[in-house]
Amino acid sequence: MTNIAVKVDDLTVAYNYKPVLWDIDLEIPEGVLMAIVGPNGAGKSTLIKSILGILKPLAGSVTIYGKPYNKQRSLVAYVPQKGSVDWDFPTTALDVVMMGTYGSLGWIKRPGQKEKKSALEALEKVGMLAFQSRQINQLSGGQQQRIFLARALVQDAAIYFMDEPFQGVDATTEIAIINILKELRKANKTVIVVHHDLQTVPEYFDWVTFLNVKKIATGPVKDIFNDDNLTKTYGINFKVSVQE
Amino acid sequence: MSSSQIEIQLIASIVAIACAIPGTFLVLRKMAMISDAISHSILPGIVIGFFITQDLNSPVLIILAALTGILTVVLVEYIQKTGLVKEDTAIGLVFPILFSIGVILIAKNANDVHLDVDAVLLGELAFAPFDRMIIGGTDIGPKSLVIIGSILVLTIILLIAFFKELKISTFDAGLAASLGFSPTVIHYGLMTVSSVTTVGAFDAVGAILVVALMIAPAATAYLLTTDLKRMLLLAIVFGVTGAISGYWLAHFLDASIAGSITTMLGVIFFLVYLFAPSKGVIAVIYRERQQRTEVSLLTFLLHLKNHQEEEERHVNHLNEHINWQKVRSKTVVELAQKNNMIVIDNGVVSLTEKGEEFTSLAIDYIITNEDAKIEYMKDDFFLFRG
Ligand SMILES: Nc1ncnc2c1ncn2[C@@H]1O[C@H](COP(=O)(O)OP(=O)(O)OP(=O)(O)O)[C@@H](O)[C@H]1O
Ligand SMILES: [Mg+2]
Repeated sequence: MTNIAVKVDDLTVAYNYKPVLWDIDLEIPEGVLMAIVGPNGAGKSTLIKSILGILKPLAGSVTIYGKPYNKQRSLVAYVPQKGSVDWDFPTTALDVVMMGTYGSLGWIKRPGQKEKKSALEALEKVGMLAFQSRQINQLSGGQQQRIFLARALVQDAAIYFMDEPFQGVDATTEIAIINILKELRKANKTVIVVHHDLQTVPEYFDWVTFLNVKKIATGPVKDIFNDDNLTKTYGINFKVSVQE
Repeated sequence: MSSSQIEIQLIASIVAIACAIPGTFLVLRKMAMISDAISHSILPGIVIGFFITQDLNSPVLIILAALTGILTVVLVEYIQKTGLVKEDTAIGLVFPILFSIGVILIAKNANDVHLDVDAVLLGELAFAPFDRMIIGGTDIGPKSLVIIGSILVLTIILLIAFFKELKISTFDAGLAASLGFSPTVIHYGLMTVSSVTTVGAFDAVGAILVVALMIAPAATAYLLTTDLKRMLLLAIVFGVTGAISGYWLAHFLDASIAGSITTMLGVIFFLVYLFAPSKGVIAVIYRERQQRTEVSLLTFLLHLKNHQEEEERHVNHLNEHINWQKVRSKTVVELAQKNNMIVIDNGVVSLTEKGEEFTSLAIDYIITNEDAKIEYMKDDFFLFRG
């Protein structure tokens, strides 16, 4: 029996009146590389934000390794969906990556040489070392995405949440990112990725959750990634059967 | 300079610094309007505080007024959260109401209160040195200097302690929240500092100048740097420069000090907007013009490289062959000559060795995008500054 990394019970979330997530139950085992799939507006980002305590749910609870999120912050890293930061902010790529270390520093303490070193290592890993002193809005979309990945890597977490890390990146970057994610899984980390390209789900991931306001299904890709669940999730007839 | 002149400039400068710090974060958070709202809506807080204490500099009054400032923010956010109106509309709804409550309170009690709306909005810096703070018989300076000085010290301590938290929650509130730095707490902390600064400064410089001192220096600094710390420093420098130059402008024009400082802040912004080295209007125009010339130069050199026949390379025919206006071809030919890339012999243009080499290198660079080879050309050519 493997450990459960993330457990979501009866989660219901609303922004205004109508809930955008209804009664979600979800168990994510340790060490999986999981895709969350579902159409635009399905509540994928909302689910991640509620798990991370950024949004307050109407009902339900979330635990990370059996404890509430605010006790387990240091175990979790998060790459937000791209539009969510201010790209014109006066800061450099290195500085953004350093922000990943703020969590372990806690309030008031400031980052020093040690933090800088691990930030540089992470930049190296994502192949962005040469861009360390660039202003962030002078980076291309794919480069920005790599910076965010580096920022998550310096957090050295046990569980990684990534909201559409492949959005707008080229094939080379996509492969570079997925290789890093697979490495994380090898180190028994749990990686949860919001993903839109259904074609690549079987190739990249070993676990999948179908979401559209309600949870449709969750489990190993080889068992549940099929036309039936895709149709239930996207509401149109799917004929992209899993390739063997 | 008399000592009161020095004191006035000192007060103005300290106010400028105290405003520039929260102002930088307000500008980055695109919340410039909220400082305007706070500066107006603290009026009822000030009036009620004044009724209770009968002293414009009492700490109770400052606290009450700061609370009104925070109330403004809370109300704006509450209205905004209903989703019925946008933030700017919510601001427009809240502060006139609070402000007019203050105005009515003053009007109703005008007989026994020494307080008027003009004093709150415009302040009177010129009289600030005459209101002394005396403790145990010794004069420790103008009251407003002591008050705003204490607020500044507090602001600096908070800034140093929470710099990283302010940075991360301004840049990426989602990440800040997930790391346990509550953006709400930081947001209200910043709002509290902004309110307290506004209240502390209004007596000396008036609410309008407070807004100008919070927003203009930060907006100016934003044009010049890509580093948050430097932006803070520059905002402080511009604020103080505006304060002191504004004081002297007022002195020579015999005009309102607050008005002159605001004018100078505007002038400084405008100058930087025009002359900033990379984002400034003139720099951008110059760069684009230069790049266009450089592209033409390259086209011209390539043409020479590809055509050996004399009639293609004759000065008088260049226009029809490469399709330029006369003016442009003259600049380009001059630029090429200045760089020793061409020689003109009997009206026939040919590439020099240097010109040949430059052309092949440039083509290589454009195709391969490899930086190393053209390192030395970067100083002279905008095109190659990646
Ligand atoms: N801040 C907000 N206020 C109100 N409604 C919101 C807010 N954010 C999201 N929603 C709504 O909640 C629903 C779910 O949004 P969410 O961002 O979770 O979708 P998603 O599955 O991540 O979509 P996408 O694939 O487009 O990123 C959508 O209908 C959206 O309109
Ligand atoms: Mg989303």
